[in-house]
Amino acid sequence: MIQVSNPTRAFFERAIGQMAGLRGAIETSQTQIATGERLQRGSDDPVGASRLRALARLEGRGVSETENAGRLAQDLAQADLAIGDVIGVLQRARDLAIAAANDPIGANGREAIARELEQLESELFTRANSLSVTQAPLFGGTAAAPAYLRGPGGAVVYNGNNTSGAVPIASRTEIERGVTGPQVFEFTLAGVPSDSFAVLSGLAADLRNNAVNPATAARDALAGIDAAIDTANRSQTVIGTRLAFVEDIQINQEERAIERAQQRSAIADTDLAETIARLQQTLTALEASQASFARISSLSLFDVV
Amino acid sequence: MPTNLITIARSGAASARAAIEISAQNIANAGTPDYVRRTLANSELVGSGNIDFDAQSAFSGVRIGGVQRADVDVLQRVVRDGISDLAAAQAEIAGLRVGEIALEETRVFETLVDFESALLLLESDPSDPALRTGTVEAARLLTQTFQFAEGSLEDARDLTASEVSAGIDVVNGAAGELAQINVALVNAREGSGGRAALLDARDAALKELAGEVGIETTFDLRGIAEVRMAGTPSLLLVSGNMASRFDAGFAASGSAQFEVNGTPLTLENGAMAGRARALDRLIALSGELDAIAANVITRVNNAQAAGAALDGSPGQPLFSGTGAADIALAFDQGALLALAQSGSLPGSRDTTNLGNLIASIGAETGPVAELDRLLLSHASRIAGSEATRDGLAIIAASNQAQLLRQTGVDLDNEAASLIRLQQAFEANSRVIQVASEMFDTILSLN
Repeated sequence: MIQVSNPTRAFFERAIGQMAGLRGAIETSQTQIATGERLQRGSDDPVGASRLRALARLEGRGVSETENAGRLAQDLAQADLAIGDVIGVLQRARDLAIAAANDPIGANGREAIARELEQLESELFTRANSLSVTQAPLFGGTAAAPAYLRGPGGAVVYNGNNTSGAVPIASRTEIERGVTGPQVFEFTLAGVPSDSFAVLSGLAADLRNNAVNPATAARDALAGIDAAIDTANRSQTVIGTRLAFVEDIQINQEERAIERAQQRSAIADTDLAETIARLQQTLTALEASQASFARISSLSLFDVV
Repeated sequence: MPTNLITIARSGAASARAAIEISAQNIANAGTPDYVRRTLANSELVGSGNIDFDAQSAFSGVRIGGVQRADVDVLQRVVRDGISDLAAAQAEIAGLRVGEIALEETRVFETLVDFESALLLLESDPSDPALRTGTVEAARLLTQTFQFAEGSLEDARDLTASEVSAGIDVVNGAAGELAQINVALVNAREGSGGRAALLDARDAALKELAGEVGIETTFDLRGIAEVRMAGTPSLLLVSGNMASRFDAGFAASGSAQFEVNGTPLTLENGAMAGRARALDRLIALSGELDAIAANVITRVNNAQAAGAALDGSPGQPLFSGTGAADIALAFDQGALLALAQSGSLPGSRDTTNLGNLIASIGAETGPVAELDRLLLSHASRIAGSEATRDGLAIIAASNQAQLLRQTGVDLDNEAASLIRLQQAFEANSRVIQVASEMFDTILSLN
């Protein structure tokens, strides 16, 4: 005989299954609240997890780019200082040249000026070999230190190369690391290539040379010193512009980092208000179903047998 | 005929008592899994014979029949199929989950991205020894993570393989039990309580079997089961008192191969089929991870070969090995990283080669993108399987509920029966009393 009924075990299993489902939902909410993470595993939301990975990668790149920008700003600031010193040295040389050109000075005076000019040329050489914090030459391009060498005859020779290299500090944005030595110290004077060192040492030599009229030599040298100051000034402007650009990008990097963090949070973080409300709702449902289960299961015909 | 009356009432009372016993048995087993509700099949007992010249029927009460067990073979089969499908999905998801944990928790993607970030950092100052050392250490961590991930995948495979081995014992145990039940069924008397208990045990064994492997079952009139494996080919597992030997072997690649009495077959569903599928997927996962590790090795070493180290010498390979299992660092001096283009002078801060390497690693066919695709496809597969599993679970639960409606014990029903049977017992007793009073009335006639 087939009898269709509502068997006791089916009732209990259904009730247990329903309550277990509610408890599972509560545990999921609880884990989300406790960990603060909406996704516990990639399979919870495969596409979301993939976007999170892309964001994590961007964040990693962002950290590197911020670090790069910081280092670049440091290098540029140092180059800026070094060129400032170079201009100071050249200014002093200019003062000396004017003095030599205008004032009637004796042999001793000329000798003193010549010595000071040599001293200035040597200081210029030191500045040209300035190193960054990490001991890399500031004006040697991408080549190794030293940027400038002194040749056998005392002449200063450029030892670096003409590429300064670029640093990526944002996606598709690279900024050149600095300026090369020739950009700071070399220029053409009346169609002839010359450099700051040659101008200073040349004037010193002329002042010592009795065959040359010191005033004329000094006046001629003034043009060279002016060209040297111009060149250094131009480089300083270039460096200053790049520094300003780097600072702009640093501000931009911070904004993008915040934006990435927001995107990440939108995908991965638990929405506390929503989750807590859902948890409360599920808790209420569980409590109600437990109470009704207890009442219904206590109903039995056996009470009246 | 007062004596007849007493006989009739006695048989009625006995039948009511027997039915109460069955009810009591049902109530006692209300919570027993696989118990099918019993009922008592009674029939009227009428004696007929010729006394003198008068042919007459003699009412003789009720005949207590055999124990009846609800016949729900079709429903049982539907339930078994549902269990097989669900078990396959569940076993597959369990295996894939372990693979997912192996890939995600070892953080192989994050480590690869860290290596990329370390390379990017080198752009700012390629001659900085601290940055160079940091990059080599990031590369070392990457090799260790690849090996760790590969090891975790291997553990996942071992775990699934041991589950396959454990499942073999369950299948063979259930098949052996079925063969013994078949033998016992031959000897069991129709309508006896023992036969009903044997049929319960038979269905329980079939259900256990269905959890592990998909089966096709046929019963003969006595309820003896013949079981075939649902697979290609469909092989006989249990026939009469004979149970075939189910076994699994593992190929060199690690994939499971099933056989019955030495004949290989492919299973369609059941936990064993799910485990075999998970095993295949885990093997494929290892292969893909290997390919990604090989991609990293090739791209980095090619870039090294095209560049110059800090001392101007030609770049040496950074990684040794051919896959995730044996990837290792070939050197650990940061100065040997070939960041400058080939032919650069010693100490060069050129980053042409470094730029090429970063572009190569981040390319659309590079390891970062490939690893992301691998993680995405694996996670999607699990999410899809879980959706299927949830559907199958609902089907299995509704099948089970359907079966329970027909076979389960309804305590309210039994309580009502108890009241009815109690009344029947009392009524029969009353009949005996009436017969006795009638007898006394006749005897007291003068």
